[in-house]
Amino acid sequence: MTRKLANIILLFVAVSLCYGLQVSKPRYGDLIGPIPSRGRLGDTVVGRSFEVRVEKVKFAHNLKVDRFGEAKILTTGGVWAVVTVEFAARAQSMTVAVASWRGPTGLTYDQTERLSFTDGLLPVAVDPGLPKKARLIFEMRPAEASNANLLISEKLMSALDSQAEISLGPVATGSDGLPAGTVEMLDMTQPI
Amino acid sequence: MTARVLDRESGRSEQKWGRRSLWSLLLLVPLALAIEAYDSVKALLSDDDLFPRRVAWGETARFGGSDWKLTDLRGAFGMSNLPPDSVPVLADFQVKIGNPDLQNLWLGCRIMLIDKDGRRWSPTSIVSLKTTDNVQTCISAIFSGAKSGDTLNLRETFLVPKEATKTIQPAVGVASERPHFLLFQLEKD
Repeated sequence: MTRKLANIILLFVAVSLCYGLQVSKPRYGDLIGPIPSRGRLGDTVVGRSFEVRVEKVKFAHNLKVDRFGEAKILTTGGVWAVVTVEFAARAQSMTVAVASWRGPTGLTYDQTERLSFTDGLLPVAVDPGLPKKARLIFEMRPAEASNANLLISEKLMSALDSQAEISLGPVATGSDGLPAGTVEMLDMTQPI
Repeated sequence: MTARVLDRESGRSEQKWGRRSLWSLLLLVPLALAIEAYDSVKALLSDDDLFPRRVAWGETARFGGSDWKLTDLRGAFGMSNLPPDSVPVLADFQVKIGNPDLQNLWLGCRIMLIDKDGRRWSPTSIVSLKTTDNVQTCISAIFSGAKSGDTLNLRETFLVPKEATKTIQPAVGVASERPHFLLFQLEKD
């Protein structure tokens, strides 16, 4: 009788152990995914091949851009976020190509492709000893502005390579639902 | 009686072989790992310029089927619109083509500058200086249709910080020679 009971208990333990292993199994994408190096606004975040520091984040209703010598206003139904960053290459010349904005709800916005010819957008080639500033521009829902994370990596498939994950902190929300300090127009034709 | 002796003997020989098998694992497991990893290690090594082959100033070196010679390395001072404390550097090579199969031998051609700390600069696109028609880059030379015995003039432009200019050395890597690469010594070295 006791042996039977012991066997049943053992079976239960085995089943729950197997179940635990199954549910806690990391997905393949997590196993070979990017390796985060974390930091905050103003910190220098050091990855394998590059360093990055976020200088400031600005929000705007409209962007003024230059398209083939002609001024153009880009409007949005959400809000524009313009992030000024400084990159530095570590051991060799490299190119930073990918950035995305991950909002508090997990919605992730890739860099906008509406300003394809503006200076200072990714991809940015960086040489060792010659840090370079760049602008990352995102178009997003206003609710995604606060407590966001900025993800920056060398290339799109940064499997097992470092990815800078920079926490941008809380942003106050104005009465209109937009981030406080949202300006009407940001001029992208100005040097960074 | 005889059966028991046979039994004991076969038991002993079984034990002996069991021990031998266990000891052979010491050899077989690392061997299996090595065979398994061989291709990956080869791919990893052939992807990077790891081991320098030094070339003295003014000397010619056989590399990727051709003879390479560094002819000049100089800074282009006094240019405007550049990041502060940076200098464009021009590296000139003269290459006498031996084996004209450049599309295979020079695949992944990479010319770079290396300083004393091991930092590596790739050619820049920020600075573009006018060149004469017969000057090519490494990549354009691959498709130039050069024949055996031709001499090509290659030039690459780099942007390096001023503090690094004192110790930089030009280097050349091609896929057919990796993980080895050429590291050119300068006149003063």
